Formats: sequence, structure tokens, C-alpha cells
Amino acid sequence: MSIRRALDRLYGAAAWVAALFMIGTLAMILLSVTGRLLDFHVRGTDAYAGYCMAAAAFLALAHTLKRGEHIRVTLILDHTGPRTRHALELWSHAAGLLCAVLLAWFATRLAWQSFQFNDISQGTDATPLWIPQLGMAVGSMIFAIALADELLAVLRGQRPRHRAVDGEPVRSE
Amino acid sequence: MDMAITFGLILALFALLGSGIWIGLALLGVGWLGMEMFTTRAGGDAMAVTIWGASSSWTLTALPMFLWMGEILFRTRLSSDMFKGLAPWLEKLPGRLLHVNVIGCTIFAAVSGSSAATCATIGKITLPELKKRGYPEAITIGTLAGAGTLGLLIPPSIIMIVYGVAAEVSIAKLFIAGVFPGILLATLFMGWIVVWALLNPDAVPPATEQTSFGQKLYASRHLIPVVLLITLVLGSIYTGVATATEAAALGVVGSLVLAAAQGALSWNTFRESLFGATRLYCMIALILAGSAFLTLSMGYMGLPRHLAEWIASLGLGQFGLLFGLMIFFIILGCFLDGISMVVLTIAVIQPTIVAAGIDLIWFGVFLVVVVEMAQITPPVGFNLFVIQGMTGKQLPWIARTALPAFFLMVAAVGLLYAFPGIITWLPQRMVG
Repeated sequence: MSIRRALDRLYGAAAWVAALFMIGTLAMILLSVTGRLLDFHVRGTDAYAGYCMAAAAFLALAHTLKRGEHIRVTLILDHTGPRTRHALELWSHAAGLLCAVLLAWFATRLAWQSFQFNDISQGTDATPLWIPQLGMAVGSMIFAIALADELLAVLRGQRPRHRAVDGEPVRSE
Repeated sequence: MDMAITFGLILALFALLGSGIWIGLALLGVGWLGMEMFTTRAGGDAMAVTIWGASSSWTLTALPMFLWMGEILFRTRLSSDMFKGLAPWLEKLPGRLLHVNVIGCTIFAAVSGSSAATCATIGKITLPELKKRGYPEAITIGTLAGAGTLGLLIPPSIIMIVYGVAAEVSIAKLFIAGVFPGILLATLFMGWIVVWALLNPDAVPPATEQTSFGQKLYASRHLIPVVLLITLVLGSIYTGVATATEAAALGVVGSLVLAAAQGALSWNTFRESLFGATRLYCMIALILAGSAFLTLSMGYMGLPRHLAEWIASLGLGQFGLLFGLMIFFIILGCFLDGISMVVLTIAVIQPTIVAAGIDLIWFGVFLVVVVEMAQITPPVGFNLFVIQGMTGKQLPWIARTALPAFFLMVAAVGLLYAFPGIITWLPQRMVG
């Protein structure tokens, strides 16, 4: 299997897991609502909903980048000549990659430290925090890989593929 | 730290944003640089802890749920049902079916948290239907662009959740505070249509069909699903039965049931709505993560406090401050999206607002109305993008058609300033 296909599969698989965590968030909230209505109590549903939401966000980062749905200000980019544009694309990809690596590095470090010092959630769920933090660590690592992937594409002079899919309205706000 | 560094940092941030770096990453990078350069604390570890805390907070879970609800409803026949239910009632008003744009957006805004989604969902049906009946395109598009922004002001509202989480204000109260201002703005938009229709009597096509009162009433059955959904979501928040998060989850289930009842729920639409919502949420979450850390970093540097002291020393008074902010936001809104605007505002000027004695709920609604203006100001205005995607018209032309809506929003801000009760009266009467 080529590296290209492996990478695309990685982003896709992470997106599927993220989508499952979205359903998980919904399930946790519904569980706490029905629990209150029917008078049974499941410990820690609020915290679990938050963990699921965090995992969904971080694991979807790379896929969202590839689909061109992360917001950036393209006003200047769109109004410059091809050479300035290329230089600006290089700069913004490199700077973006740097920030993403920073995030991946410290997110992983956080999960690792939580594991080492056996950090437990303060809430009623009493979860060892490294477990949910793993989602943030893995997701931001895949995000950094995806940005490096894009930077390479720009270096090779390819048109960045992370442009919004035409004809699909931005329904972001 | 002096004002030179403060303004230097803010300028650097805007330069980075302008250079095309993804907004969330740019916020994160500036936060890290500020922390490393101007404080003695280790930036990286504080960053990871802050971002983790912000991304896993329970209050925020309302946001992905409302996004998902919007994505589901976008794929149902809800908007064409609303057209069928509303149109017969509006044929007698000056401007006739143009009012479907405003009332449709107002009603849909009560189940949708987003301006662009409201605009896209209602426009999907009104643009072709009104064109078919011979309504002039300029007024159709202008009123749609303006009324679509009500998606932000009328609860549920994504931008209010973002504001509520960032400013630590009750989201439920913010939601309810947006109801009357939303109705006020809708009324102003309808007034615009009436005035336009009276000035251009020949431009409005004749009513297509005459219906009796009974027929009108019967057509209204199409509105039942959306009314039920509004009752479920807003009713449960207002009566205190559910928190904003729980109401959002109920809304997702309600929308799925509605879609299934309409036969619009296939595995494909379910998957598309789920992935669409996941990506939208992910995009917003990256901005929120970056801004959470930037807020912390700026707080350590004392930047917002310095700015507050400096602004206080200017002696602007409440009116001067708000007026200045509105002008600043309108300019900023030409280039930035609303969510980034709100999180940056909270990161930098919340202490200024508190020091000036401005109520944070009132300010939240004020900010939302100003962000609504940003939705229809070029070059970056999301409603303009949506309409451009649907009609293929040029952005400046669409913006010009929506210009009256912009001025009506400025007028609405004036009214909200003169009569703050429009915002604060209802939340004070909430249960719980």
C-alpha cells in the first residue's frame, strides 16, 4: 500500500472514530436525562460526555483540514499574484505545522504525565485522566502529520487540496 | 507591561491571522509566544492543561449537539413544509411572499443555532419559489441574507454558547435574552419589506391563489413539526426542565424522529449529517482551543487589565465605549468570522466591559447583533458566501442588496441601548 493511501486511510479512520464519539456524547447526555426522569443515577455521565466531545474534536482535526473546513483568512492569499501566493502558502503551512507540532507534543506529554502520576478526575467519574487525554494526544498527532503532508504538497508546487468543496455552502455559523 | 507591547501583540496577532494561518493555530501560537516571552511560566504544559479543560467541559457539549441538529434539519423537508404553511397567510401583506423569508428564518432560527444554516435552509426553498412567481431577485436575496442572520440571535445559538462558555455567563439565560431582540429585528425586517412594497407597488407580483380562512388554517398543519420541535427545545430550557446541553440532545433526537417521520432519514443522510456536524464542531473546537490558551496567556501577561485601565482613562463613558466597540467590530467583521471575533473579544476586553458596569448578558446580545452585521459585510460574510453558492451572483452585488438589513441592525443596536429591558426582562422571569 502506498504512503498516500495509508495516510488517507489514517485520516478517514480517525474521522470515523470521531463520529462515533459524537454519538457517544449524545448517548451520555441522553443517559443523564433519562436517569433523572426515571430516578436512577449513572455516575459521571457529564464528565463522559465532555471526554467524548473532546475526542471527537481532536480526532476529526486532520479530516476537517483535508476537507478545507478549518477557517483561515484567505483574503490576502486570494488577492496576490501566484509567486507571492506560493510564498504565503509556504509560510502559513510551515507556521501552522509548527503550532500543530507544539500542540501534539504537549498534548502527548500531558497524557503521559497523567499516566505517570496517576491523575484521577476530580469529578464523580474518577476516571484516570490519561485515558480520555489519549484522544487529544492521538488526534493532534494525526493533525500534525496531515499538516506536514499538506506542507509537502505545497513544496512540490501542488495546489493545496484543502480548499472547500465547491458547491457546498459553508454552514459554519 | 506598557501599552506598546499590548498593541504590538494585538497587531502581531492580526498580521498572523491575515497571512493565512488557520485561525485556531494562530491563536495558539501567539498565546505560546506571549507566554514564553513575557512571563516566567512554562507555556507548553499550561497550554495542554488549558486546552484539555476547555475541550472537555460539559457546558460546551451543547455546541456539537446543536450543530448536529442543524445538519439533520437541513436534510429534511422542514423548509418546504414551512413554505406551504406560511405562504397562504402572507399573500395579503404588502410585499406578500417576501415575508416568508423573514418569518421562515425567524421560525427556523428557533431550532437552528447558526446564521449560515438558517440562510441555506430557508433560501433552498424561498429563492426558487419566489423567482418562479416573479419576485425581483434583489429584494428576495437581500431580505434572505438579512433575515438569515437571525439564526444567531434567536435561540438556540452557537455563538451564544461560545460567548457563554468564554465569559462564564449562563447559556440558558443568554438564549432567553435573545428572544425579544430577535423578534424586534424580525419586525424591522418586515417593516423594510412593507416600505419597499409600498414604494414599488408594480414590482410585487399578484397573489397566486385566493384561499379561504379554513384553507389557510388547514395549510398550517405543515407547521406542526417545527412548532413541536421549538417547544421541545426552547420550552424545556425556559421552564428549567432541561439545561441548554440537555435541550440540545433532545433536539437531536427530535430532529431524527422528524426526519424519520418524513421518510428523509436514510443511512446516507444520517452519516452525512453526523460527519458534517463532526467537521463543523471540529473547526470551531480548534478555534476555541486556541482562544482558551490565548486568554490564559494574555491574562498572565496582564494585557486585558492594562487595556481596561487604558480605556477607562480615556473617560469614554458607556455610550462612547459601546459605540467605539461597534465601529471596531464592524470593521473586524469584514475580515473575521463571528466565532473568532467573540473569543478574541472576551480574551481581550472582558475586564473593560465589567469595569464600565455593562451587564454581561446585555453585552452578549449586543455582540451577537454586531456579529450578525458581520455575516452580511464583504469580503468575509458567511451568509453572502451561502447565497453566492446558491445563486452564483457576485459577492458585492449580494452585499448591496442586503445593505438595508445592515442599517436596520445598527438601528436595532440603538434601540437595545435605549431600552435594555428588551434584553434583560425575559431572562429575569425565567424559572430556575
